[in-house]
Amino acid sequence: MQYSFLNLVRQGLSGHQDWPAQWRSPEPKTAYDVVVVGAGGHGLATAYYLAKEHGITNVAVLEKGWLGGGNTGRNTTIIRSNYLWEESEAIYEHALRLWETLSRELNYNVMYSPRGVMMLAHNVHDVQVFKRHVHANRLAGIDNEWLSPEEAKAFCPPLNISRQLRYPVLGGALQRRGGVARHDAVAWGYARGADRLGVDIIQNCEVTGIRRDINGAVEGVETTRGTIKAKKVGVVAAGHTSVLMAMASLRMPIESFPLQALVSEPIKPVLPCVVMSNSIHAYISQSDKGELVIGAGTDVYTSYSQTGGLHITTHTLEAIAELFPTFRRLRMMRNWGGIVDVTPDRSPIIGTTPVPGLFVNCGWGTGGFKATPGSGHVFAATIARGEPHPIAAPFSLERFVTGRLIDEAAAAAVAH
Amino acid sequence: MSAVTSLDDHYDVAVIGAGPAGLAAATVTATAGLSTVVLDDNPAPGGQVWRAVTTTPVQDRRVLGDDYWKGQEIVQAFQASGAKHALGAAVWSLSREREIGVSFGGGARMLEARRVVIASGALERPFPIPGWTLPGVMSVGGAQTLLKASGLVPGGRVVLAGAGPLLWLFAHQMLQAGGQIHAILDTSDRAGWRAALKHAMPFVTSPYLVKGLKLMAGVRRRVRLLTGVTSLAAGGRNKVEAVIFRQGSEGGQRMAADMLLLHQGVVPNVNLAMAAGVEHHWDAQQLCFVPVLDTFGGTGIEGVAIAGDGAGIAGAEAAVERGRLAGIAAVRALKGDTGKLPDETASRKVLAKYDGARAFLDTLYRPSRGFRIPAGDTIVCRCEEVTAQQVIDNVRIGCTGPNQLKSFLRCGMGPCQGRMCGLTVTELIAETRGVTPAEIGYYRLRPPVKPIALAELASMPKTESDVTAVVRI
Repeated sequence: MQYSFLNLVRQGLSGHQDWPAQWRSPEPKTAYDVVVVGAGGHGLATAYYLAKEHGITNVAVLEKGWLGGGNTGRNTTIIRSNYLWEESEAIYEHALRLWETLSRELNYNVMYSPRGVMMLAHNVHDVQVFKRHVHANRLAGIDNEWLSPEEAKAFCPPLNISRQLRYPVLGGALQRRGGVARHDAVAWGYARGADRLGVDIIQNCEVTGIRRDINGAVEGVETTRGTIKAKKVGVVAAGHTSVLMAMASLRMPIESFPLQALVSEPIKPVLPCVVMSNSIHAYISQSDKGELVIGAGTDVYTSYSQTGGLHITTHTLEAIAELFPTFRRLRMMRNWGGIVDVTPDRSPIIGTTPVPGLFVNCGWGTGGFKATPGSGHVFAATIARGEPHPIAAPFSLERFVTGRLIDEAAAAAVAH
Repeated sequence: MSAVTSLDDHYDVAVIGAGPAGLAAATVTATAGLSTVVLDDNPAPGGQVWRAVTTTPVQDRRVLGDDYWKGQEIVQAFQASGAKHALGAAVWSLSREREIGVSFGGGARMLEARRVVIASGALERPFPIPGWTLPGVMSVGGAQTLLKASGLVPGGRVVLAGAGPLLWLFAHQMLQAGGQIHAILDTSDRAGWRAALKHAMPFVTSPYLVKGLKLMAGVRRRVRLLTGVTSLAAGGRNKVEAVIFRQGSEGGQRMAADMLLLHQGVVPNVNLAMAAGVEHHWDAQQLCFVPVLDTFGGTGIEGVAIAGDGAGIAGAEAAVERGRLAGIAAVRALKGDTGKLPDETASRKVLAKYDGARAFLDTLYRPSRGFRIPAGDTIVCRCEEVTAQQVIDNVRIGCTGPNQLKSFLRCGMGPCQGRMCGLTVTELIAETRGVTPAEIGYYRLRPPVKPIALAELASMPKTESDVTAVVRI
């Protein structure tokens, strides 16, 4: 059913009792044209664009838990495209343009809110790097502007710009088109959209093996709900991608770390934008519910535990308490973690693999949410054509062999 | 005096909770010469059962009764044992390595213990009826807390509704304190008597019987009792004005009331244990999640034990013995048999008596389905104002469990951290999906298990390893 004013009125008259389920819960068929492993935002977006733009509707998305229950539902929902390298600019800007029309595209309110993302500079190095970003972005036609401390404060009034701080604010890079979106709604919107186009979303279905024929090509997957045949399999499983790829004897250049976030009790609107501090690795924004959403850095040790070290959180909060003294007495309600997959150059891997028919989309590290529409869009094209989409091409797995890295880690001095 | 104003970094034993179990455990370990600290967020020892036993303004001993004043003895033994007591210390985290996050004296800090005894006690089971969020509707336990701690007795037309020993005990205490009870609405299922009979033998020989009968008879003489209540609602605009109920299959009745006190038993307070990773299972008799424990209260986590009602509801006397057993196990693990231990067999004997009698009480006062699993517009999650129908609707459109429900409805994500809705949500989803609560499970609980100020977390004292943990090369 289309979500429209007319239908809203119609359903309202019958007490909202007849809204249909947003997606089906089908039994898995024995074979599909494409199997996507992982029903997070990226996986669901991939399935949606496969059906929408490439006419491939005989698609299954397999999810071991529930859709959107992994990193999609655990991140701090920041959206921006002000990356340094041209390759990164291309894919994140591609995503940002899709974000701008996504609610209409999906007929689903993903609550994209371009309230501005401000990245704070705390030392001379930060200032130089961020200014370089501003220039690089402008040359690529991407908005990014430098703010003095006073301008930063004017844009975000609760910010403390005193020079006496341990992490003084020396300025900030602001991308006004950046912002946030509702993470669950993104997963639900893509799930509903894909489902309406005929894609089967199969939850509680864990992939336990990848089947290959005598030539080594993919012929399907083993799951907890039986064998499912498919000539093309796309793995989009974030932190668990390396586990899945090992089933096809592929070793991935990714490491998995816990990344944490926490929220405060809800308060009235006080924080008008997203504030990031790369030096400290702290992010903060205010949800529509009124809670302050605070993101911390990754643990320094690899792990699959969905809880991170307390030191990491307290380190972040020390800085937040200095930068926003008014938040000091707020009570923190919940703390949680997700498993992020980090590559050596802090850029994602999107593309083909040495195993024919096996495709991979992973390595988004701590910043995959912002790329969701763009990632799904180019990955769908890659799977459909059997060769990388031009925007995805630089993010190939081979770059770790050829050395043609896209080093956003060095560029931003942070895993992001 | 055992109260401390500062905490050390390491203790042999840390006991979380200063109720019957916690005090008993700490007394055993401190007496055996182990450095012991009791962490509890209340201003005085005693837990819920013996709340304010050292400070209560209610000095007429007949009001709160002998069982309450028994707590004095346990507290005195504890205070003489050499155990340290951190009053007003809120524990918000416990790791598998037995690092405890505690908020104390205006700052947060970590401390370590070689043995941890969780004695976090019980909570009242949620009682979700229409109107239970109106001002003037409280839990019986809440009213009892006010009586013990501050000597307050509710005025006006006070109606008590529900079932369970605590309801009768409080009715008795309130009358003794000079209060008036307008009526008691007994929601216990009449079929419960028949089912409970097969567990009657151990009960008859337990101390519960005589005490219970005397208490109930005393209350019945003075208060109007309406039994067989099958539906219950609080009515009123801005505060409770009336209680609307049905007895059996009879028509609805309306009783004017100024205050409605609800109670349908207590359940283990599992938040800290679950967040620490202790395995829990669904107890089909007590209708709640209980931790999986060995005979000394030991959990699957090395060095962490649970004692008292947090280990499964058994009452204060049993809690003391379970506390002693957990204390004994801690001493044996850290010091071997020192000879300065209380008699284990004596504790087990007492425990057996109370455990045996429990089945009768659990069956008799088993809260009936209609009061556990609400319907329609009745609020389930008070913090986020989520109704039963919303939960049912979301299960029907594809939500499979409590953790997924958080993203659909935010159920359980408010300041109570799921304490007021967890069991209701589990049972509601289980019933809608037609599976067992065991299969549905519970909210995934995480630290901080008590909300903690941002500045407190931001000002945690640092060790060298804390610094290395965040320094990036």
